[in-house]
Amino acid sequence: MRPRTGWHPWAMLAPTLALLVVFFILPIGVAAYESLFSWDLLTPARFVGAANYAALAAHGELLRIALRTLGYSTIVVVGTMTLGLGLALLLDRPGRLFAFVRASVFSAYVVSWVAVALLWMWMLDGNGGVVGRLLRALGAGQVALLGDPRWALPALAVVGVWKLTGYAMIIFLAGLRSVPPSLLEAAALDGAGAWARLRHVTMPLLAPTAAFVATTSLVTSFQAFDVVRIMTQGGPARATELFVYAIYEQIFLDLSVGKASALTVVFFVLLLAVAGLQLRVWRSRAEGSR
Amino acid sequence: MIARRDLLRACAGASLALAAPLGCAPRARPEHEDGRVVVTFWYAYGDLVRKVLLDLVAQFNDSQSRVLVRAVHQGDYFECLAKLRTAIAAGAAPTLSHVVCEIVPYLARAGVLEPLDDYEGARALPFVPALDQRGAFAGGGAGAQPLVAIPFNRSTPIAFANARLLEQERASFPRTWEELVEVARRLTKRSADGEVRWGFEVPISWWYWVAMVGQAGGRLVEPDGRMSLGGEAGEKAIRFWQRLVRDERVMRPPPGRDYQAWQSSNESFLQGRIAMMWSSTAYVRYLEDNARFPVVAGPLPRDVRASVPTGGTMFVLMRSAPDEEKRAAWEFVRWMCDAEQTIAWSTRTGYMPVTRPAVERLAERGWYARHPNDRVAYDQLADVDPWPWAPELFRIERDVVEPRLEDAVLTGRDAHALMDEARDDARRPA
Repeated sequence: MRPRTGWHPWAMLAPTLALLVVFFILPIGVAAYESLFSWDLLTPARFVGAANYAALAAHGELLRIALRTLGYSTIVVVGTMTLGLGLALLLDRPGRLFAFVRASVFSAYVVSWVAVALLWMWMLDGNGGVVGRLLRALGAGQVALLGDPRWALPALAVVGVWKLTGYAMIIFLAGLRSVPPSLLEAAALDGAGAWARLRHVTMPLLAPTAAFVATTSLVTSFQAFDVVRIMTQGGPARATELFVYAIYEQIFLDLSVGKASALTVVFFVLLLAVAGLQLRVWRSRAEGSR
Repeated sequence: MIARRDLLRACAGASLALAAPLGCAPRARPEHEDGRVVVTFWYAYGDLVRKVLLDLVAQFNDSQSRVLVRAVHQGDYFECLAKLRTAIAAGAAPTLSHVVCEIVPYLARAGVLEPLDDYEGARALPFVPALDQRGAFAGGGAGAQPLVAIPFNRSTPIAFANARLLEQERASFPRTWEELVEVARRLTKRSADGEVRWGFEVPISWWYWVAMVGQAGGRLVEPDGRMSLGGEAGEKAIRFWQRLVRDERVMRPPPGRDYQAWQSSNESFLQGRIAMMWSSTAYVRYLEDNARFPVVAGPLPRDVRASVPTGGTMFVLMRSAPDEEKRAAWEFVRWMCDAEQTIAWSTRTGYMPVTRPAVERLAERGWYARHPNDRVAYDQLADVDPWPWAPELFRIERDVVEPRLEDAVLTGRDAHALMDEARDDARRPA
């Protein structure tokens, strides 16, 4: 279909473009501009050039926040995809029992982050929590996972995996339903076993679904805030200070609009780079498998 | 062309307007209800303290027909402060709020607080000297600074102990740092299955570190105005914490930050999982009422000297509010400073009575004889080190020192290197 005039496509795109400009591009532009100033909302702003970036980079703090966020996201994305795919393959069967289990697993995704965080705080409590008691029974002694800088971030990531696995499972289930049964039957007739069918037929056809799950899980994990705010407030010893929480802390607790804006810009660039890289890898794999 | 700040102000204003229709829109005229001037009061407590405050507000509203105080809960101190700053920037600030002491010099410099010198009776209120603006800040007194803050819920850190456990171990209340280590060692018990009852606990946070800096003989700001962060004493305080947690293993740093860590300590103490802790005098009543064992309070132990900072908050009026509302808010603040209200507030919570007549009446009525724990913080005022009147104090607290304390204690980083880094950051402009 050809547009009657040159501006028709732009008119169709205008509502979406306007939303994108107002809610995404303009705020990022404002943040980039703000990052060049020292400003606390109440006293006059002062141009400081790249000093906010330099202050964040000093003593390696910016790098540590970036690595922490990447580490958290890696655990969440890998864990979510592995468990989501595994559960989808296990539960892609007819029957009420399987439907009930699928709904149960997915229910964690529907529950609010605040409720999930409070539940896991109780479970991870070193004194009376289920996990704390289990670790003591296994001879690990009294371990406060959320109070130990070595374990706090993995503990939060496990909570993220638990929350998002249901979502990944549902998307993978939808992907599995779109795999033509005739292909699987043909492979079986050719002598392919269950593992070979999964590896050579199902998995390549699930590649676009996996790319979608990976990208959305990555974005969700990068945006982690509620779970940090409720469970650790970035502690202990900044071990769980992820990007979004660090931005919140800079602007609302430490009175620094400039540094918060600088963090936002770095965060945006990092997320763009990681999402772009991830999509590129998945696309090249998908093309290679055709 | 729209200026950048105007654009951001418009965005902030729009967000606030969306979040709280009508209530937070900028007000050029005073708000009235049933012929009374409405004073919007943003406060920041939960639990018992919140209930006591709301009771007093209701009592004030019932006691007269000119002013209606509308108290609005805004989370903890830091959440309330964040909202207050955003509201000020958006032109939607309340008439009255209360803020932590460390932020007062910054807000005063920003020019957002109402100067109170000319308000009726402002300079004549009979405050306990260490607790009002003059006493709470070095350089914050009359002549040096305008009066902008009125003491409200004031506190000092104090030590609490489970008296039953002290008696079981035949230990007495520690009066020095060395005694604290010794008693905590005796009170720490490890069971066969790995469960630990800790001898001592204190949140790894700014307030307690400042107390220890003073006890180790240091000060945050030197007389020449240099932000030394205690120098050697600041490092010694961190090393003492490292010793308790990492070497002696008699202290558990509570999980969480800010008031979550405080609440965690309180709960562990009430459950008998820790034997001694440092906390605020604000929790005296809560701990006494909820413990299943006798609670005994005492002054913080000394190192080379005794020292404590003051804490809690002060009332501040927002300069941007209409004059009629500010006058009405002042009426409420003065009412809260009357001896009977001060006594009710103090005895029902544990915060210190902020006026001399209130203290005298409490003594006359035998309150302190019946409640010796309530007297500890008041007696400790003799050892108070005032805060420096430094606008950068709050930034130093939140951005420079606080995040590094946990780092030092939990990961064992070298205290000297860490404080050098902190001093370097403190010198950097905000």
